[in-house]
Amino acid sequence: MKSLPRLGVGIGWRPEIDLTVERLTDVDFVEVVAENLGHGDLPESLRLLRERGVPVLPHAVSLSLGGAEPLEMARVEHLGAVASALDAPLVSDHVCFVRAGGLDAAHLMPLPRTREALDVLVANVLQAQRALPVPLALENVAALIDWPDAEMTEGQFLASLVERTDCRLLIDVANLHANAHNIGTDPAEFLATLPLERLAYVHVAGGVERDGLYHDTHAHAMPAAVLDLLGELCARVDPPGVLLERDDDYPSDEELAAELAAIRAVLT
Amino acid sequence: MSRSQLAAQQAALLRALLADGPLPAGFDSGRLRAQADALLSKRRRVIWYLRPDLAAELGDRFAPLFADYALVHPKTVQVRMREDAERFGLWLVAQGHLAPPRRSWWRPGRR
Repeated sequence: MKSLPRLGVGIGWRPEIDLTVERLTDVDFVEVVAENLGHGDLPESLRLLRERGVPVLPHAVSLSLGGAEPLEMARVEHLGAVASALDAPLVSDHVCFVRAGGLDAAHLMPLPRTREALDVLVANVLQAQRALPVPLALENVAALIDWPDAEMTEGQFLASLVERTDCRLLIDVANLHANAHNIGTDPAEFLATLPLERLAYVHVAGGVERDGLYHDTHAHAMPAAVLDLLGELCARVDPPGVLLERDDDYPSDEELAAELAAIRAVLT
Repeated sequence: MSRSQLAAQQAALLRALLADGPLPAGFDSGRLRAQADALLSKRRRVIWYLRPDLAAELGDRFAPLFADYALVHPKTVQVRMREDAERFGLWLVAQGHLAPPRRSWWRPGRR
């Protein structure tokens, strides 16, 4: 097994904050949503970051790897092409489904935690891995709803996925916080059950509580509870990287820099 | 349960959340409503960015009219977000919520 690269502290590159990401002085790596890049030229900003030696990791949102319908290989091939264009050491998507029955949720929907759903996910992941030029990391999603008749915990579901596919893990502690709040996931059991030696990197993000539910908006400041969970993860493993996701209501450069500094403070 | 049964369950869940389909058994109905609302606002936010002209013209009517539109036009896999935005604009005109855009006389190929 190839060792996983050390990534450091990063931020999600978005076209709206491209200059901010270039200006921030302590960004060790970035992530780009693979579906937002075309097949042709890379955005100037990403080319510049690559020239500086900053790793740019493609992050996919549309493979629908947990979907029971056949995998759309064109989406996997696009992800692989983006990885090659960026010379990325790894790619990622989510443990979720996006499409079913001709409808598109345009969102990462949770899977039933059953053996059958796990079998489908494993088959799709193995098929995707065969077509990808670099390792695939898979991320836990945030849920507002929970499927009935779960046969395992989230941690057990992800641990089995790793065991059967040899995929890497991208652990989103903001999503873990959301699920602890919304569907009763036990963070301690989750972290204790995962094979953390397979951790590729970690996501953190902000969100908001509304009507008793925690919404993982990526449009608000990081709550202290998310940083606390990052601390709990760090007590178990030294994460190769931690990346801040912000997708809307972009704050000032100073506020983003302060959030990155807060992440670094947990890591040291 | 087979792969096709799982496909049917996933499709039924999305029909309930996106297309006012029957609520699938075993789910909390309040949570399904919260999830449906969250999906609708996420989609509405994208359209709001893609068509600032519609957002400006509609003002406070944007959100309720988009909810009406989305109910009869759930997002299908064939429709990209930009097409979704265009269709919302056409629907607004067809339903009489907006006046038709003035014809661009200088654009070639349009009569």
